[in-house]
Amino acid sequence: MKRIICLILAFVLLMTTTACSGNFTQVNLNEPIAIPENGIVEKSVLDRVKNENAIATFTGSSNDIKYEWTVFGSDINETKDLNLSVVLNKSDKGVKVNFTETKDFGFPALLSIHIKEKWSADSATAFNGGKGVYSVSVTGSKTSILNISVNKIVPEIEILPDETNYTEDTTAENTNPTGNDSSDTTTTNGKDNYLSGVQNSDDRVYSDGTATGKDKYDTDPVPEGKPMPVEPENQEINNKKTYTCTFSVECSTVLNNLSDLDPDKRHLVPSDGVILPPTKVTFYEGESVYDVLQRVCKEKNIHMESSWTPVYNSAYIEGINNLYEFDCGELSGWMYRVNGWYPNYGCSRYQLADGEKVEWRYTCDLGNDVGREGTW
Amino acid sequence: MFLLKYCLPMVLLTAFINPAFNHAGATTLLYFPNGNPLTLESILYGFSAGVMIITTLMWFSSSNRVMTTDKFIYLFGKVIPALSLVLSMSLRFVPKFKSQMQTVTEAQRSIGKDVGNGSLFERTKTAIHIFSIMITWSLENAIETADSMKSRGYGLKGRTAFSIYRFEERDKYALIWLSFCGLFIIAGTLLNAFGFRYFPDIRYAAFDMTTIPFYCVYSALCITPVILNYKEEKKWKISVSEM
Repeated sequence: MKRIICLILAFVLLMTTTACSGNFTQVNLNEPIAIPENGIVEKSVLDRVKNENAIATFTGSSNDIKYEWTVFGSDINETKDLNLSVVLNKSDKGVKVNFTETKDFGFPALLSIHIKEKWSADSATAFNGGKGVYSVSVTGSKTSILNISVNKIVPEIEILPDETNYTEDTTAENTNPTGNDSSDTTTTNGKDNYLSGVQNSDDRVYSDGTATGKDKYDTDPVPEGKPMPVEPENQEINNKKTYTCTFSVECSTVLNNLSDLDPDKRHLVPSDGVILPPTKVTFYEGESVYDVLQRVCKEKNIHMESSWTPVYNSAYIEGINNLYEFDCGELSGWMYRVNGWYPNYGCSRYQLADGEKVEWRYTCDLGNDVGREGTW
Repeated sequence: MFLLKYCLPMVLLTAFINPAFNHAGATTLLYFPNGNPLTLESILYGFSAGVMIITTLMWFSSSNRVMTTDKFIYLFGKVIPALSLVLSMSLRFVPKFKSQMQTVTEAQRSIGKDVGNGSLFERTKTAIHIFSIMITWSLENAIETADSMKSRGYGLKGRTAFSIYRFEERDKYALIWLSFCGLFIIAGTLLNAFGFRYFPDIRYAAFDMTTIPFYCVYSALCITPVILNYKEEKKWKISVSEM
């Protein structure tokens, strides 16, 4: 009897020790893997990424510029030895990239290049002989990270930042100088200072930039030329008039911070970070960004949770596609941007105008990594 | 009966309440009027949270049955005499208070002060009266218990407990069996054999040759008291028939 019990105990201890040590000898796919000197990542590693359906990151550096590859196991069809090393060189305006691998990978992989300076543009293009081959998204807080989804290998490319084209967009057009005789708008004195604005052609009131102090929902003055918030209770929706806007939802910053991401949520992140590609959406006159987001998510069957926040008189978007605030570090969450500007008020208070471009972006650093300017 | 009367409603309640506040989960069933989704995962999570609460309640009621106050005093009476006395007294307090309350209420009824009689004011007066009696009684009772324990030499050196337990052969086997199961299950937990997550979608550790042993050991551990009880009952019956 005693002997049997001792045997069982010994067996258990043996089993646990072997099982535990077995885990340590293998490469941990959840940690970044350094690319070896010769650049070759072996087939066996990729096989494991594929079979475990993992998201692996391979890191390396060239000429003091760090880069990393993010590979999604779900994207891999066939595996082979891959040379992931890349030669990076600074050029006048951008970065030159030379791939060592000559054959196509056979699956899309994300190349993130951590350059030393901060680009003001939030997108860029990779050129090969004057022809654009890849579109590049630019993220990062203090220094920029260039993200390229590489599918077909073009041996030599140069990445140049895109010119921002928002300056000639609707917001700029609408800042016509009617501000001087603002007789039809609210007066700019006393405690109603925050209301100073200009009535405009699309029925919205635009800020003339003279406002000081916070409004009653703790909102700082709206920068000049930007639309003033419309309180949801004053919202007038005109069902007869429909407009269109461009709507997109993306979380590419998560791909640069995979180590911070809640392990349970790894499979939610698309390999290019795009949850909803830019889509033309119809909406009624007077609707807010929140109204449209809610409808789009329902139509496209994208999970979305929001909560009403009375202090800011707006809905707060807690999570989209089950990717919630704080899921990727404590500074992470969802932000929205209209025509390149991050409004300083909630999405229920932003009344959309025809042809505006709305982007919902996931930030891992309070918006600094998705091109929001200014401080909180 | 207890299961049907209290546990089932509890499980249903949590399964009903959780989705009202928790909207995470990949499977959207329908939408609330405020636009948030009702998800299958949140319902199931509420359900299992209810089961968890009930399990905890059952653990406590079982441990209350098994760990009687005299056992408690036997175990800790020498190490922490004051604390174990306070603990055992407070554990005994609730059932004692209940039965004394019954006695007092009946006594009051016999002199015509029924809680169920008279106007609201009179009834309240009676209830307050009974309550005041109870408070006095419980304070007095506590002092009496403490005094009587002291006069019996509680906490002094060389004092024996009322119940005497010896570490026998069968206790040794039980201890070995329980620690074996415990270690095995801890190892299983570390190896994530019981892994289960609800959000964003339901995933659990595969039910195959690597995890089945852990489940087997766990169910063996759970069923141990049942087997012990059954064996004891059988032995008792045999010994009765032999008499």
